[in-house]
Amino acid sequence: MNLSALTKPWEAMSYSFLDGSAKRELRRKILKSVAVPGCQMPYASREVPMARGWGTGGLQVTLTLAAPQKTLKVIDQGADDSVNAASIRRFIARVAGTQTTMDTLRADLIQSRHRIPEEVMREDQVLVLQVPNPEPLRPVQPNMSIARQMHADADYGRMWLQLYEQLVRSGRVMQGASYPSLVHGRHVMTPSPIPRWDVPKLHMAKHLTILSAGREKRIFAVPPFTRVEPLVFSDVPYKVEDHADLICSRSGTRGFFMNEIPLEDGSSSFEVSDSEWGVKTIQSNEGEAVTLGETWYKNGEMPK
Amino acid sequence: MAYVATRGGERAITQSERLFRAEMGEIDATRVEEIKNAMPYLIDRVMGEASLYDDDLAALALAQTGGELYEAVLLLRAWRTTQPRLSVAEPIEQDTLFTHRRISAAFKDIPGGQVLGPTLDYAHRILATNVLIGETFAPDPVDPADTPSAPYQPSVSAWQAENDLLELPEPDQVTGNDIPDLTREPLLFPSKRAHTLQSLARAETGGVLALGYAAQRGYGQAHPTVNELRLAEAKIEVRHPDGRAFSAGRVKVSQAEVVDKKGEKLNVGYAATFGWNEVKCIAAATLDLNSPGAEKGSPTEEEFFLYHTEGIESSGFCIHFKLPHYVTFQSSLDALRDAKAKKAAKRTEPAE
Repeated sequence: MNLSALTKPWEAMSYSFLDGSAKRELRRKILKSVAVPGCQMPYASREVPMARGWGTGGLQVTLTLAAPQKTLKVIDQGADDSVNAASIRRFIARVAGTQTTMDTLRADLIQSRHRIPEEVMREDQVLVLQVPNPEPLRPVQPNMSIARQMHADADYGRMWLQLYEQLVRSGRVMQGASYPSLVHGRHVMTPSPIPRWDVPKLHMAKHLTILSAGREKRIFAVPPFTRVEPLVFSDVPYKVEDHADLICSRSGTRGFFMNEIPLEDGSSSFEVSDSEWGVKTIQSNEGEAVTLGETWYKNGEMPK
Repeated sequence: MAYVATRGGERAITQSERLFRAEMGEIDATRVEEIKNAMPYLIDRVMGEASLYDDDLAALALAQTGGELYEAVLLLRAWRTTQPRLSVAEPIEQDTLFTHRRISAAFKDIPGGQVLGPTLDYAHRILATNVLIGETFAPDPVDPADTPSAPYQPSVSAWQAENDLLELPEPDQVTGNDIPDLTREPLLFPSKRAHTLQSLARAETGGVLALGYAAQRGYGQAHPTVNELRLAEAKIEVRHPDGRAFSAGRVKVSQAEVVDKKGEKLNVGYAATFGWNEVKCIAAATLDLNSPGAEKGSPTEEEFFLYHTEGIESSGFCIHFKLPHYVTFQSSLDALRDAKAKKAAKRTEPAE
């Protein structure tokens, strides 16, 4: 055995950008976060060739899981063609040689900012969510070290109080996206800022979800078949966005999360937020052979 | 297929990057060399914030980003983080620094002497506008001193410790790869001493100044006196795997010690960074001085100032607000409208 048999020729960049030690740390932290669902694990969070706050946490996880035989889908606020999704997809394909797709059904890995696709994800798929703020307690406790102690003590009293105050003041819980949810009956997590519409999709899901905040250096996970329960009072049920009856003005699809488009006459039209679902619906309407997967919501309702 | 027609994302981002780069034009080695020679202090600042000492790479990063400092530092950090850690250099003591400038505001004269060195402190800040009409700005030559100042100087705090005016911190016995490394581990609180100093060393100059200045103006408990400020070169001594020690060259460093006069002894705040950057060191040392016992959530508490002076994180987050937020916005709008409707319904209910 000689030296050249043990080493590789010098290359300007490691496969998939991150070096071996960074990937090893991430794999360990991913395993830890799977072992303790919903618990935030600190990690070094290396700098990547993208600005912090632009999906660097999700990117590090995806780069660690990427392989040439994997097929990748990247979405930003539901859309595959959003500029930052395009940028991330191009980067990962360039440094990791992954195949890319926009079809949820064909993807092995889905990196997403703030949406879970409308089609049901399978056991063999992994969802990587980009997280700006991993700390559900931030509104009641901005200090991260104190918040960490509160999680350790399962001290969520102030969280409940905040929800109660909103109910009293506004007649409802005012939390928009990132609705605080109890994972596996133990840790409260912020499900990145996915809309309330998407939170029930995480509950007892077949797929693994990894949530990663690069700037804040925290990683957490919802393993398959794990309970994810939004924090609600027993007499005030959880309410998703009132989108069940909205119709997409482009594709005609109905009963999914929509983007509102203000119109000049003062009214609004709507476009389905999951852009690829919209595209596939149009293609299907035009008689093309496309496979529309099973959706989580049926007729605008999430089956119990 | 109206939907697909709107998909211009890929092309749009390619063209917008081209538009940005078009302004800088071609970049070659000559331009990089020019930037390096013309702007040593800018290079120093960038190297400090990148925590990467390489003036060629720093100049290249500046050329490539057109001087967009946050982008330049990010380029260097992203490059740095993929590089292997080959060796850990020997610790550097203050009296082994090859000192170019060293001043103390605490005493008129200090052992080893005040060494003014290179500074604009006493320059009249007048623009040399004649350069713009074709004249050359030629700096007057330096007249060498009759006796050069000693290149190696003891620290002022060593003298103060001898005179029982302050307690020097216990020497840290941790060596080599056991030294906590902020670039390989997350910053957690209470922060390890090594992490605190590393974090300040690579903090964004403007951010450190803003919070340090707030502390100096009175939002901190301790008013700093500059015990000693130094611009120097440090010898980087590393060990070959066969055991031989050798010098890997010298790097420019700056450091500041500030003291506060409350209590029975002087308290010390300390900061050091790559490159010559006096403002950053004095402001960072002020924050370090104010940090012990600072109230949670106050700007002089370490969690507050270490998180918020991290330039790559703060600048990235700030510009991320340009990204679409319509899903999250829609979600909040839904709650807002529903609450409004509920209120209106309540108002129209007949009184019982």
